[in-house]
Amino acid sequence: MKKLSLPWIIIPTTVALLLPLFLRDQYFLHISVLILIYTGVTVAWNIMSFGGVLSLGHAAFFGIGAYTVSILYVDYGVNPWLGILAAIIFAAVGSLVLAIPLLRLRGPFFTLATLAYVEVLRLLAIWAVPVTNGSVGITTPPTQGLAYISFESRQPYYYIALAFTLAAIAISIWIYRSKLGYHLRAVATDEDAVRALGVRTNRVKLGSLLISAGMTGAFGAFAALYFFVIEPDTQFSATLYSIQPALNGIIGGMGTIAGPIVGAIIMTPLGEWLRVTFSGASQGVNFMIYGAVLIIIVRLMPGGLVEGFRAIARKTRRGGKGRGGKRSADAKTTKEGE
Amino acid sequence: MSPTERGFNRRSFLRYSGAGLLALAAAPALASCASRGTDATTLRLGAMYPVSGTNALLGEESWRGVQIATDLRNAGGGVAGKQIEMVFADVPDVNTAASEARRLVFNKNIKLGFGTYSSSLALAATEVFARTGNAYVELGAVSEAVTTRGYDKVFRLNPTAADMTGLHMDFIQNYLAGALGKPVKDLRVMMLHEDSSYGQSIVSLAKAAADKIGLQHFEAEPYSAKSTDLSSTVLRMKSQEPDIVLAVSYAADAVLLGRQIRDNNVKLGAFVGTGGGHSLASFQKALGDAADGVFDVDFTQIHVNRDFTPGIEDFISEYHKRWNAEPASGHSLSNFTGAQMLFDILETTGGNDDPEVFAAAARKYHREAGTSAAGWGYELDAQNQNQQGSMYVMQWSGSKLETVYPPEAAVRAPKLITPFGL
Amino acid sequence: MDYLLQTMVAGLMLGGVYALVAVGLNLIFGVVKIINFAHGELVMAGMYLTWWLWSAWNMNPYVSLVIVTPVMFLAGIAIQKFILSPMQNSSPTMKIFVTLGLSVFLQNLALWMFGGQFRAVNFPWAEQNLSLLGINVTYGRLTAFIVALALVLALFYLMKRTLVGKVLNALVEDRETAGLIGIPVKKYYLAAMGIGISLAGIAGTLIIPFQAAYPLVGAHFTLLAFVVVVLGGLGNMAGSLLGGLILGIVETLAGTYVDPALQQVAVFVVFIIVLIVRPQGIFGGSARNAEVGLK
Repeated sequence: MKKLSLPWIIIPTTVALLLPLFLRDQYFLHISVLILIYTGVTVAWNIMSFGGVLSLGHAAFFGIGAYTVSILYVDYGVNPWLGILAAIIFAAVGSLVLAIPLLRLRGPFFTLATLAYVEVLRLLAIWAVPVTNGSVGITTPPTQGLAYISFESRQPYYYIALAFTLAAIAISIWIYRSKLGYHLRAVATDEDAVRALGVRTNRVKLGSLLISAGMTGAFGAFAALYFFVIEPDTQFSATLYSIQPALNGIIGGMGTIAGPIVGAIIMTPLGEWLRVTFSGASQGVNFMIYGAVLIIIVRLMPGGLVEGFRAIARKTRRGGKGRGGKRSADAKTTKEGE
Repeated sequence: MSPTERGFNRRSFLRYSGAGLLALAAAPALASCASRGTDATTLRLGAMYPVSGTNALLGEESWRGVQIATDLRNAGGGVAGKQIEMVFADVPDVNTAASEARRLVFNKNIKLGFGTYSSSLALAATEVFARTGNAYVELGAVSEAVTTRGYDKVFRLNPTAADMTGLHMDFIQNYLAGALGKPVKDLRVMMLHEDSSYGQSIVSLAKAAADKIGLQHFEAEPYSAKSTDLSSTVLRMKSQEPDIVLAVSYAADAVLLGRQIRDNNVKLGAFVGTGGGHSLASFQKALGDAADGVFDVDFTQIHVNRDFTPGIEDFISEYHKRWNAEPASGHSLSNFTGAQMLFDILETTGGNDDPEVFAAAARKYHREAGTSAAGWGYELDAQNQNQQGSMYVMQWSGSKLETVYPPEAAVRAPKLITPFGL
Repeated sequence: MDYLLQTMVAGLMLGGVYALVAVGLNLIFGVVKIINFAHGELVMAGMYLTWWLWSAWNMNPYVSLVIVTPVMFLAGIAIQKFILSPMQNSSPTMKIFVTLGLSVFLQNLALWMFGGQFRAVNFPWAEQNLSLLGINVTYGRLTAFIVALALVLALFYLMKRTLVGKVLNALVEDRETAGLIGIPVKKYYLAAMGIGISLAGIAGTLIIPFQAAYPLVGAHFTLLAFVVVVLGGLGNMAGSLLGGLILGIVETLAGTYVDPALQQVAVFVVFIIVLIVRPQGIFGGSARNAEVGLK
């Protein structure tokens, strides 16, 4: 019953592994690293959406991860690899603040609580100057080497990011197929019914929160080392690390395995391309287009691209008489199989 | 029902290959704009400014100055016979700054970058340029950290936060104390600062500067520039009854602060802004006559002693021609001046922007104060910080922000007026 | 004592602004069941429109309500008809993201049209001080406060006493049943969206005499307005007013007596605590909605 067709895992992985051999341009490798970071955060975010929960609080975990690794490294001389481990733990612990709202609130109320949490952490990071150096931010030292995750070339960054992202995807697939994932998807469909069957839904949801936050923390930590400069408005930016991952996931297809990956791979270069192309033209035009594209994609493909492509594929196969992509593909889609 | 199968079957492959194709299509689109960098006829420089996002206002104003400098220079034959081409990058946030710096260096083959207006953006951009062995010239950010990290090819032409706090204290000691009729040690001074990297880098130096002149009653209070109400800040100010308020504000918050000081009837001996919002023409427009008497410590503004700032007329008339308005603040002028100096240095290398060659030339170059459009001279210290750039004290009078201190740059003497129409 | 009183009054005035922004959001959130992340940007649109009427036509900002209100009403109807209504059966998440897209679009449309410059309306009357017992309030803020009160009363009346209001209330409670008993749900959604967004526009007009407009000004209001709506209870207009006032006072008191850098933190902490302790809001909205979440 469970087939995990290997070719579709092996081929993309091989392509990803070999990519730096063909792509020598450092800028493309940089964009690829960005895509990998966003893929990772989106995949992590998506674990909560298996359970039908929409979080806009992942910037909080991302920022906690970034600050953990850089404060430990710069102020206490802790090796960044250990720092990343610490970041995972701190982000997971930091996510516990959201545990109570997660268990008590449903739907948009939880989403709003997560957004408020990001804002609180951002303001605290600005305020706590002795710890975080406030808005001026922290710069990681230029010492290079594998031990410090700092290199001149992009290749090593690429492979480290790829390893992290593949691990995240593997964890996500594993969770999806595990009992936890099964319970999560059941919770997304009808929490009360699942609880009536004797599943401890609170534990299930809490588990997804902790895992998702820890993974996001790891990517936050990696990104901090990658970008060198850590500053509250960026690391705790709801736009960059709460909304964008959610957007990738939704555009790809929320609650599926492949959706977030597809979403991140498409949306990251799109944002870059718009900025590069239109930034010289007139203030704000690139983001205007971005906003409009967003409205159009969500409006025309409410189930995400994966669902949208599926509808198109179906249509072409059945000679244009398919069901179309109109059916909603929110959390409920997770219950349908093929 | 087997939900686990989703995502890994033949149909999904079709979908992913479709998505993959899209992504692949994006790659050449990004690739097609690669450039060869500087060549025999064209000098290609990387310009990084935030023209969207929170810093859009003054980032755009700064970038305008560079555009004017470039066009004027190109019309006059360019640098060492080469035309200048600006490769522009919009950098609304820190990660984008790091990202765009990479694009300029690797995709556009830029060897020499400059910008950046905001300190945290400057830190991010310079890290990339410095760590890839390229040169970066800062024209606007004031945080000390830009030049104190030990990078030998990071230069800064504009004066810094230390110059600002230094001038604050100088002005208090040499003018305000006397005008208010109190010895420095009895003056109560309060610094209100917005909490972005701008405000925080200034306030971090202010305490020490206050100690230096023997200012004993000095308080600093942060606030958020995004606030829509500064009542708390103003009420705290009222209860402390300061003689002098030093404010470090961005744009809309500067207006809000002024209006709420007036609304709450807080009579101050003197109010000294610190660049940013208090230099903006729209600050005066929003407050009207109530802005009269507000002092402002900042880069050179356009109402300055013209003997001290040769070339400023060209700048103003060119600005008028292009945007049909007065410069919104001195940011355009200082970036204009910085860009001109940058071109002059490149002139001495024969238009060679190789990082080593440029760095050597930049360290050798010299210019007296009072010979540039902003009145700045040029002489680098050991950390590649220009020592001859200076800040001035301006004062609002009607719709003009007139330079009043120090005397060599002033158009008139300072006047003590209770600010905000009180 | 004076000091405390002045702080409280300042907080009340600020709270009035929050309530003003929140009532429209509450109507949309409650009736149409959409988390409108573009609400702050629509307030911004009202501010820019008022500013434009003032600077180009020298129109008194309060008179410009005659234009701003219908224009924003139509904008609301257009948004509902062309963007939201076709997505009626999509998941709430999709609707959130379509409004986020709208918010990004409007912010940058403003940047593109007006630049990053802040645009202030200089209206001397609004800047005059009313001094009572040593407490100062400007007419501009007082007007915004009074209009907030009046609008809440009007909405309260609309919701409780009129047929339209009863239908809207039914929609707040349970859309499906309302549809089943033959209420033309779509029409009422249009109306609610139109009213909700014209309220955002009115808020913008009343705010601009004391708060300059710039492209990111709305972003700050959106989250705060949600805080107010949740505090006050979904569909509870009087609750929104009280919620707004409480937030304004919390923010000002925290800023004055604790640390100005932490005043917003205090607001969000209060928000998270209320969400946890009384998710239906301090003053209780529709308990059913709060319990079930929005579907």
